[in-house]
Amino acid sequence: MRNVLKAPEGERLALMGNEAIARGLVEAGVSVVTGYPGTPSSEVLMTLHEFGAGGDIYVEWAVNERVAFEIAYGASIGGARAAVTMKAPGASVALDPLISSAYGGVEGGLMVLVADDPGPHTTQTEQDDRWLGFLAKLPVLSPSSPQEAKDLTVASFELSEAVKLPVILRTTTRVNHAVGDVVLGPLRPPKRVVLFRKDVPRFVRAGMAWNLERHRWLNRQLSTVEEVFEKVSAVRNTAEGSGKACVVTEGAAYNYVAEAVSELGAEVKIVKLALLFPPPRRFLSEVLEDCERVLVVEELDPYVETLVRSLLSELGRGVPVYGKTASGMALEGELNTRIVREAIASALLGSAAARRSATAEPSRSIGVPPRPPPMCPGCPHRNTYVALLLGMARAGYGRDEVPVFGDIGCYALGAQPPLEAIWTEHSMGASISMAMGLKVAGYDKPVVAVIGDSTFFHAGIQPLIEVAHKQIDVLVVIVDNSVVAMTGHQSTPAWPELESGRKARPMSIESVVKAIGVDRVEVVDPYDLDEAIEAFARLLREPGVRVLISRHPCALMEARVKGVPYRYRVIEDRCVGCLACVRVTGCPALYFDGQRVRIAEEDCLGCGLCARFCPYKAIEVIRSG
Amino acid sequence: MNIAIASVGGQGGLTLSRVLAVAAVLDGHSVRTGETLGMAQRFGSVVSYVRVGGRVLSPVFSEGEADFLLGLEIIEAVRALRLLRRGGLAIVSDALKPPVSASLKRESYDRAELLKYMSDRAKLLVVPAQDLAAQAGNPRAANMVVLGAFGRLQTVLTEGSIRRAISEVIHPRWLEGSLKAFELGAEFCVRSGFARARSD
Ligand code: SF4
Ligand code: SF4
Repeated sequence: MRNVLKAPEGERLALMGNEAIARGLVEAGVSVVTGYPGTPSSEVLMTLHEFGAGGDIYVEWAVNERVAFEIAYGASIGGARAAVTMKAPGASVALDPLISSAYGGVEGGLMVLVADDPGPHTTQTEQDDRWLGFLAKLPVLSPSSPQEAKDLTVASFELSEAVKLPVILRTTTRVNHAVGDVVLGPLRPPKRVVLFRKDVPRFVRAGMAWNLERHRWLNRQLSTVEEVFEKVSAVRNTAEGSGKACVVTEGAAYNYVAEAVSELGAEVKIVKLALLFPPPRRFLSEVLEDCERVLVVEELDPYVETLVRSLLSELGRGVPVYGKTASGMALEGELNTRIVREAIASALLGSAAARRSATAEPSRSIGVPPRPPPMCPGCPHRNTYVALLLGMARAGYGRDEVPVFGDIGCYALGAQPPLEAIWTEHSMGASISMAMGLKVAGYDKPVVAVIGDSTFFHAGIQPLIEVAHKQIDVLVVIVDNSVVAMTGHQSTPAWPELESGRKARPMSIESVVKAIGVDRVEVVDPYDLDEAIEAFARLLREPGVRVLISRHPCALMEARVKGVPYRYRVIEDRCVGCLACVRVTGCPALYFDGQRVRIAEEDCLGCGLCARFCPYKAIEVIRSG
Repeated sequence: MNIAIASVGGQGGLTLSRVLAVAAVLDGHSVRTGETLGMAQRFGSVVSYVRVGGRVLSPVFSEGEADFLLGLEIIEAVRALRLLRRGGLAIVSDALKPPVSASLKRESYDRAELLKYMSDRAKLLVVPAQDLAAQAGNPRAANMVVLGAFGRLQTVLTEGSIRRAISEVIHPRWLEGSLKAFELGAEFCVRSGFARARSD
């Protein structure tokens, strides 16, 4: 790949939105970039790492989003340009320092990337972070394409420094993960610490009189944002086309609107917002002046619709506004050009449903089975769950008697058949505290919490302190695959050397757990299944706070680093097609061909779990070529 | 030109979409692709959308709007068939990987039946992509075999740009095998009578 961080100004490259944002950070002269991995935001830091930005600027993953934000904020009050990236739930984790930062303000520009996920494709909720503007009182910008994502990244630093506030760049999956052609801008050397001037009323939130004064300051700053934004940003709030029928939109939805209008060949004015908070009132009142019908097209909540309605009513303009009530404009999920075309046709043009394209498959007559993402072949989490379930049986409990609280990471895929091993997956770190909640409310059988290594570092330590301090009977299983696997294999605090090349002091999970005051700690390798089953059975029978660290590296990462020395295959004439192997493991390398099971050789990672459970000894190991 | 790429996560559908995007820019076209990324997609259904030329803005499209369907696995190709427009062309690897959900229910899928289902509804080129990739010395390059066949059946992207895009996107370690796989796919396409040899 071309080095997107070094390519010269003027070059046109195919870039993913997140790569474009990474480029934008370098064009803006950022000197500190941090964040916590989360789809669809992760590729910003990954791109900076991949192309060696860590050499002259600080680019590192942080332990969680609030720590990441605080690092970036600390840099920016000293005059440095800093950025922090997170997915939507991460913004909630960072909310406390984020809201306070509006009162202190910044010196160097600070951009906060918050990547939402209408769909949702990979996120637990469809949280709409455009509202963060109103809540945190910080400017919010919204790009509609990779090019705009880059350009608004650069603009966010100019705006941030001009109004002395952190700026939120709010994106969605269809911008972060879209690839588009992007024209590069000029590069700028990193802007590092200038001077941290001691200013107690500004940066100490302990004085209520100061806080009241800072709140007034904040509101004054916000009142200038629209004007400053128009001056500093290459990407503006825009109006294209003309007519009395108007569509107001922003972000990814703009693309669907522009395509739909051109397909319909209709006379429609398209108003696109790039500044979402504070509401660009002056711009909107001007461009909506001669509109006689307004349709707001946006994904998720009626955010822009609320702005437009209240503005028009303030202006005393009684034009009809259609938004979430228009046909097809759901409060949930994503839009696309077809949905938008139909909404514009019916709400704005009063015409019948627009054309649909003729598909090769107008009606489905053959069923194909669903393929939700499973745990990978050879995944050590699979072994952990098999051992947990067998350990329960050995300890005398049924699978329905021991609630297993899951957490966020690949191991949540254990909720699917055939394992169906976890009962909840809620928010980062919640496995431990929710298990405690059930227990203190009187549940009289064992409860188990399963949490990954990076999730433990992110938000599991405090809940463990809580159960250890209150001495609650909970078995906490820390599944340690030594990597943030789900989001693309980022580093954890246990790594001795980071993506940037920085040497680090590796954190030991055992030491942390013991220091918290948990006396009963065991470590097993789930690939050693007998020992793991026995450990689960033993710990399930005991009272108190127990921690079992189930440690084996992510199979995918292992295979990449070390290759796959041997794999397994089914001996055709021994297999009777009983499916025991599939039912125990659910390994995606195994499939039923109508008579017997086969192993897709290129997918098998050689864990041997299926072979162990074949009653007919029909699965054998082979060396791989 | 709209292209839908259907694959099982990990088969290289995303790489394929990226090669097409880079080639499009090299040829001076405007481009958009849409997909979701992350480990969570591995071994799950993955659809990538690639749009080249004209004033493309949306990274995705709807049913019946793809000119081409590139399938790296048969079940996934059937799942994505509704995206293909009437008269569109499907280029599908002969790989068949039934998902766990089917095996758990003792369901099995017949390659010939699924392929007939597709050929009854669309122009279909079935490519022995895995075999040709193995022959090219890179068993993971089935995506490049399909790309090779596709290259001969479209007229928007030049072969030179596609090759250059492959060299930019694929890691040098796998490059030789990938380019060879691309070539074998193109040759297969010509031999199958689907396309004539190109002179550029
Ligand atoms: S040995 Fe069996 S369970 Fe393990 S990866 Fe291979 S096929 Fe899957
Ligand atoms: S458990 Fe053994 S005999 Fe049964 S289906 Fe699997 S390989 Fe065949």
